[in-house]
Amino acid sequence: MRTLVFIPAWNEEGPIAEVIAGVRESLPEADLLVIDDGSTDATAERAREAGALVAPLPFNQGLGAALQTGYLYALREGYDACAHLDADGQHPPAEVARLLEEIHADRADLVIGSRYRDPGKAESDDYKPTLSRRIGTGVFRFFLTLATRQRFTDTTSGMRAANRTVMALFSERYSPDFAEIESLQLAVREGLRVEEVPVRMLERAGGTSFLTPLRSAFFIFKGLIVLVVGQMRPRHVEAER
Amino acid sequence: MTGPVLAATDPKVHLTSQTRIIAAVLALAFMALVLDLIRRDRLQERFSVVWFVAGLGMLVGAAFPGLLTVIADVMGVRDTNVALFSIVLLLLLGLALNFSVIMSRQAAQITRLAQERALEKAHEQTNNGKSHDRRDPTVVRQGRREPE
Repeated sequence: MRTLVFIPAWNEEGPIAEVIAGVRESLPEADLLVIDDGSTDATAERAREAGALVAPLPFNQGLGAALQTGYLYALREGYDACAHLDADGQHPPAEVARLLEEIHADRADLVIGSRYRDPGKAESDDYKPTLSRRIGTGVFRFFLTLATRQRFTDTTSGMRAANRTVMALFSERYSPDFAEIESLQLAVREGLRVEEVPVRMLERAGGTSFLTPLRSAFFIFKGLIVLVVGQMRPRHVEAER
Repeated sequence: MTGPVLAATDPKVHLTSQTRIIAAVLALAFMALVLDLIRRDRLQERFSVVWFVAGLGMLVGAAFPGLLTVIADVMGVRDTNVALFSIVLLLLLGLALNFSVIMSRQAAQITRLAQERALEKAHEQTNNGKSHDRRDPTVVRQGRREPE
């Protein structure tokens, strides 16, 4: 079973090497691809020095396009499973290995690492979100659950694992604007098995969150448009299954 | 699109020959500008058709001002200015939306192009690791990818 772990990175020269080393340690058999999303710092160089394969986008295209690049690579190179995690050190690679177990055991097509679904707890001890993030999370959680009729807790999680069905779907259709939420909706609409697994996440090792209250409001508004439109999109069943 | 109740009491426009000449000259100058843009490769032919039509429309309007009154009557609008502005506004709105659609398509194409290039670069890195044939990238590129 060939596995690809890919890491979308935009100006993460600080934490990237450590994240790569962590993935190598936790997932020694997996191939590693860093998608450099038009970084203006030395992210690509640091990643190559750390021994990772780097796919550099010529200019910043946004997280969605970077993730789609990873799915595209995994699909074309014939990987059986793939997973991705954030480059800022929030996601412990050992947890990614747990997501991949679900794919390898064929218990799901797409697995989301949720920072919230600790057994019996609404929020984890490691993770303390800000108020605006908490509101946004609540809104998305509500509407995505409404749209998909499936319970999701961490809708914007950037730690996921997928099989070839999902690779084929996402390399074809992956919103560059609002990748995290629309992709979940899309996968459920296409009748795929989407599963959430509670994971441990850490405080950000480097960089700051892009969410300010005004941006959060805009983010939420855009997300709602995406969800409404997503409900009206035509379904298309993937042949490869 | 019903006519406003409180429309002006004198609905007809009476274009003087002076304004008609100015309008015709502007229309011709506009079409000349479009031609010049095409000539200097600043505008592609396929995007120029709509602007030629617009210039011709201006010319026709200047030549036959009675036409506008007829159109206003057909629309049920008493004020010909309202008819003119609403038609132009709707056309421009449609055109702007059309451009947004074209822009979205091109944005998607640019994204895919960037992704393809990123993957090519990744392949170059793996190939350089195995054999140092960096010299001729065209050879490396052939037959690497199965058709989708």
